Amino acid sequence: MKIAVCVSHVPDTAAKISIGPDGKNIDPDGVTFVVNPYDEFAIEEALKTREKSGGEVIILSVGSDANKESIRKALAMGADSAVLLKDDSWRDSVAVAGALADEIKNIGAELVFFGKQSVDYDNSIVGQLTAEILGFNCVSVVVSLDINDGKIRAEREIEGGKEVVETSLPAVITAQKGLNEPRYASLKGIMAAKKKTIEEKPAATYENLSEVTEMKRPQVKQPGKIIGTDASAVPELVRLLKEEAKVI
Amino acid sequence: MKFKTDNSEIQDFLNDASNFKGTCEGVYFPQNEADIIEILKDANRKNLQVTVSGNGTGLNGGRVPEGGIVISTNNLNRVIEINEEQKYAVVETGVLLSEFHTMIEQKGLFYPPDPTEQNCFLGATVANNSSGAKSFKYGPTRDYVEELDVILPTGDKFTIKRGEISADGFVLKLTTDSGDDIVIQLPRYRMPDTKNSAGYYCKAGMDAIDLFIGSEGTLGIITRVKLKLIDKPENILSCVVFFSDENDALNFIAGAVDLSVNNDDSPDQINALGLEYFDKYSLRFMKEEYPQIPAHAGAAVWFEQEINDYTEEILLDKWVELLSEHNADIETAWIATNDKDREKFKDFRHAVSSKVTEYITREGIRKIGTDTAVPKDQFPEYYNFITKLVEENNIKYIVYGHAGDSHLHLNMMPVNQNEYDLARNIYHRLCEKAVEMKGTVSAEHGIGKLKRNYLKLMYSDENLKAMAKVKRTLDPNLILNIGNIIDPEILKEV
Ligand SMILES: Cc1cc2nc3c(=O)[nH]c(=O)nc-3n(C[C@H](O)[C@H](O)[C@H](O)COP(=O)(O)OP(=O)(O)OC[C@H]3O[C@@H](n4cnc5c(N)ncnc54)[C@H](O)[C@@H]3O)c2cc1C
Repeated sequence: MKIAVCVSHVPDTAAKISIGPDGKNIDPDGVTFVVNPYDEFAIEEALKTREKSGGEVIILSVGSDANKESIRKALAMGADSAVLLKDDSWRDSVAVAGALADEIKNIGAELVFFGKQSVDYDNSIVGQLTAEILGFNCVSVVVSLDINDGKIRAEREIEGGKEVVETSLPAVITAQKGLNEPRYASLKGIMAAKKKTIEEKPAATYENLSEVTEMKRPQVKQPGKIIGTDASAVPELVRLLKEEAKVI
Repeated sequence: MKFKTDNSEIQDFLNDASNFKGTCEGVYFPQNEADIIEILKDANRKNLQVTVSGNGTGLNGGRVPEGGIVISTNNLNRVIEINEEQKYAVVETGVLLSEFHTMIEQKGLFYPPDPTEQNCFLGATVANNSSGAKSFKYGPTRDYVEELDVILPTGDKFTIKRGEISADGFVLKLTTDSGDDIVIQLPRYRMPDTKNSAGYYCKAGMDAIDLFIGSEGTLGIITRVKLKLIDKPENILSCVVFFSDENDALNFIAGAVDLSVNNDDSPDQINALGLEYFDKYSLRFMKEEYPQIPAHAGAAVWFEQEINDYTEEILLDKWVELLSEHNADIETAWIATNDKDREKFKDFRHAVSSKVTEYITREGIRKIGTDTAVPKDQFPEYYNFITKLVEENNIKYIVYGHAGDSHLHLNMMPVNQNEYDLARNIYHRLCEKAVEMKGTVSAEHGIGKLKRNYLKLMYSDENLKAMAKVKRTLDPNLILNIGNIIDPEILKEV
């Protein structure tokens, strides 16, 4: 079975982000980019599936040459091969999903893993869109997965609990934290990854259905106020909560 | 200037990471040098004990007050200058090391000292001459201090630049900023040839700045530091490798140390930045949090080396060859592919220390941990000696640390008072053995208030008195950081 993992290359969540001069993009200067953290769970699950039932793990990524760094990491973790769907210009979620769907069809993958969301734009929809375009089943935000004879049993996180879903291949699974503990890239893997070439081809053309018109920083939080440090401050605190914050 | 006395507001200043607890009358929060001068002058008049505090991560009770008042350095936290061209930074003492690292690296520069605990103040790392994994290649904090502003215990200010004042033999003449001359007679002991932070740095003809670095706040309060920076390495190879047999791991380290120290700066030959060791018990401690640790692992080594696009493949091959020679498990070895992964390995190293602390807190027991180092050629014998002694006495322990510098932390976790007493005796024996091998009782944590007895194993009464005289010359009324390094009884005698 061919298993595809779609990987995005995103700013490290610890990076200090500032908005670029065009007001529509972030300023990439001094920002380190990493594999989208949720995609690491997706890669790990694909590798575990291959270890259990055999198959081949193929990494797909839409973007520029910079994405190769994250692709290399996925290969060093143990993926078999990779395709970079090249496009240097900005794409919205629909245009990304379209390019991925074309390539998934092209390679004939039956099982596709995504992270549940990419932490750059946080749209949480590329996996679902891709499934829709392909006509695949889709289970999102998965925290536990069992695949047997083409039958899938997945637990997904829902508000306040878990939902158990049964479906069948072909399918798209989007991974949530807790699904597994991603392995580190291994020395053996990195030596092997050095010898693998990343296949490059232009990403299929799909029209963006949305555009970023402006990027703004969130409002700065008001600094906290220390009213006192012992019990004598309680009456004043109660008054402020009532009259100023109006929460009690 | 704020002075706090309320128990809830000062209790954070009454202990450090050693869990040694003290008392004080209150804590001052000076905003600048003038405030500190005022406090010290006043304390001299009133004969009041003063303890200077960093961020409280010390492991020897150094910042823990035994009465008197505390000076917090929390508000002296400005980065004054980062000079990218001439590669230096000027900072106030209370700047956090972790934040400093990030700030410097964003400018493409690098500050090598990397103690495992990064949540400490820069001035405190100078006062302790802190070191870390990468000190194997880059050296300890001392090597990066170019200038210091110190407020002497008397309240006089003293600014000192490296290369400006050297001792004439063992006599050091200093002139304070207000023009007073101070003549210091230095002790004449020979310091161990290992990484060392036990007692004052003393050598014939030494640079005066070196006396203050590592003096644990006994000779003055550091307010401002000029630190040397280097270029940020293009890239760093970082690996955690597992071995079934701990002897293989130790031999691999010995091999890598030899290649590294004999490297004549060839970028495509093995030259480790650091070589950190974890024994099987350390790995067992970590297994729950790190399920990626392979089941068969009997020891692990974390190593790093500077690389670039050209040397990466060559060096990977060389390391794999060396690892294979020593039966390392190449299949399971972890490798970092970016800065974020590298941070994860650093966290892994830090997690060993914090897991121990968590465990002892949960079990309600006290730990006893060594900080000894010995010369390189004595290391295998020392390692066998320490592990054998603890095993024979059936005390639960783990051992890990800066093996590249022949410097390990053996942590004993005795479960009852009997075992605790036994562990203390063993600790004493381990320190004695290190000194017999011409090593040190403290390679990085310092002496503080908790390890004074062990300093006595290294230096004679005469030398300890000579140290006390240095202290008395600079602190005639004995008010600042009393109890650190030197026994207060000896201080009174001289
Ligand atoms: C988990 C863990 C790991 C550690 N790993 C390492 C390691 O790898 N290497 C290492 O070297 N240390 C290590 N340490 C010890 C500790 O982090 C260092 O000694 C550090 O330098 C202490 O900094 P601090 O700001 O917390 O100082 P504090 O603990 O507050 O003070 C330490 C000493 O410095 C004095 N001091 C503080 N500020 C000044 C000043 N401005 N002028 C004069 N004296 C001053 C204090 O009086 C005290 O004696 C570790 C500690 C922990 C808890």
